[in-house]
Amino acid sequence: MYKNFEVIESSLEKIKEDIKNFYDPSKYHFITINAIDLGNGKVNIKWFFAKYEVMDKPIAFSVDATYEDTIPSIVDIIPSAWLSEAELADLFGLNIEGAKKGLFLEPDSPPAPLRRS
Amino acid sequence: MENKMIVPFGSQHITLLEPVRFIFETENEKIVNVDVDVGYVHRGIEKACQTKLNYKQVAYIIPRICGLCAMSHALAYITAVEKILEFDPPKKAKYLRVLVHELDRIHSHLFAMAHVAEAAGYENLVMHLFRDRELAMECLEILTGNRVQYDYGCIGGVNRDLTPEVEKILRKKLKKLEDRIHWFKDLYMNDYTLSLRWKGIGVISKEMAEKYNAAGPVARASGVRTDARAEFDALPYRDLGFEMIVYKDGDIYSRNLVRLDEIFVSLRIIWNILDGLPEGNYKEEVKGLPKGESVCRWEAPRGELFMHVRGDGKQILTRVRVKTPTFSNIPVLRELFVGANYADVPAIITSFDPCMSCTAR
Repeated sequence: MYKNFEVIESSLEKIKEDIKNFYDPSKYHFITINAIDLGNGKVNIKWFFAKYEVMDKPIAFSVDATYEDTIPSIVDIIPSAWLSEAELADLFGLNIEGAKKGLFLEPDSPPAPLRRS
Repeated sequence: MENKMIVPFGSQHITLLEPVRFIFETENEKIVNVDVDVGYVHRGIEKACQTKLNYKQVAYIIPRICGLCAMSHALAYITAVEKILEFDPPKKAKYLRVLVHELDRIHSHLFAMAHVAEAAGYENLVMHLFRDRELAMECLEILTGNRVQYDYGCIGGVNRDLTPEVEKILRKKLKKLEDRIHWFKDLYMNDYTLSLRWKGIGVISKEMAEKYNAAGPVARASGVRTDARAEFDALPYRDLGFEMIVYKDGDIYSRNLVRLDEIFVSLRIIWNILDGLPEGNYKEEVKGLPKGESVCRWEAPRGELFMHVRGDGKQILTRVRVKTPTFSNIPVLRELFVGANYADVPAIITSFDPCMSCTAR
């Protein structure tokens, strides 16, 4: 399934703690957060990281959630994550704690365009 | 006495090549707070890639995200799909991909340097940089058939071989370009105007670059040793003389020097390719439908381009995500403004070489 990156399964309850324990800003580069609509109101969210200066596979923390769930923000751990979180809040309509909406979409845009259902 | 002002910058501004809006809160010319809006050119390209186009057609839409680094977008996507299909392209195709990709980096870096020079009011340097950038553009045109949107890469390899006639022209133009880059290096190292305007301005420390996950020349100018060419196994950079360029001062001047030195590295890589291009196919047929998930980290001229692709064994992919270099650099740019002098804003922005078409997609 995952061809060239490592996946660490987590949960909405644990994800923030897992990333906090894992992330060392001098060793790891935070790449981005991505979501994949799984259909039936479910969504998979991945937080991607890569090691500095090492030829190695990227690492992703993976969580399955629903669109009704509140997704914890990691901005207090990784300050640059606000932009990725804002994008997911706009394009998928995810409820991410504290995420600013309207950064990528205009007020008259169709809401959550990357949702499949 | 404090003089507080709210100063809107953009979405249309003389310094900006593309729309982005900053709202600066200033006190006596010092910026104390900033807000940013990056979504003016959202075109729904990811949506189109996962609803309207099959996975092979996507390879020709993804480059339209950006005019300057079209090759990076295309090859990053193609590599991600090839990883899912477990297809290893021919060695010759990999070398030709590097060749075009490094030519892309050269013209993009010269473009960025010209833009920074323009913000400093150094019009003469702008003209020199643009004139010599033309040599790289001509190389790309004769090799790929187009100046901007090359569509050179394809799933399975590349769309054109390098003929002896084209190689001869490339060598001639690249030799001329290399001489000019040496001239620029001398200018950048010794011109008092450049160092006066750019040294110590817009400084990002290594800690700040790491904290805000800066990418590309912005990160490397601050001493962060990161470059996807050394961190992700996509193309044979180890065999071709790749060297990571890192400076420590983190200012506008260092960001320029990183780009300038990277052009020398790109030229060295290109010479090595021309001298040792492998024999064999430049393209092979790829069968099957993508099933699974893969990623690609790609060092575009502006920094790390990240592609995340998922297919469920159908012609149309389930997800295509593009994280662009400027997307990574917006957070550190926003932080950098706080405490900066408002008069330095144009120079700081242009030194990041931002691309909003990439960022908003």
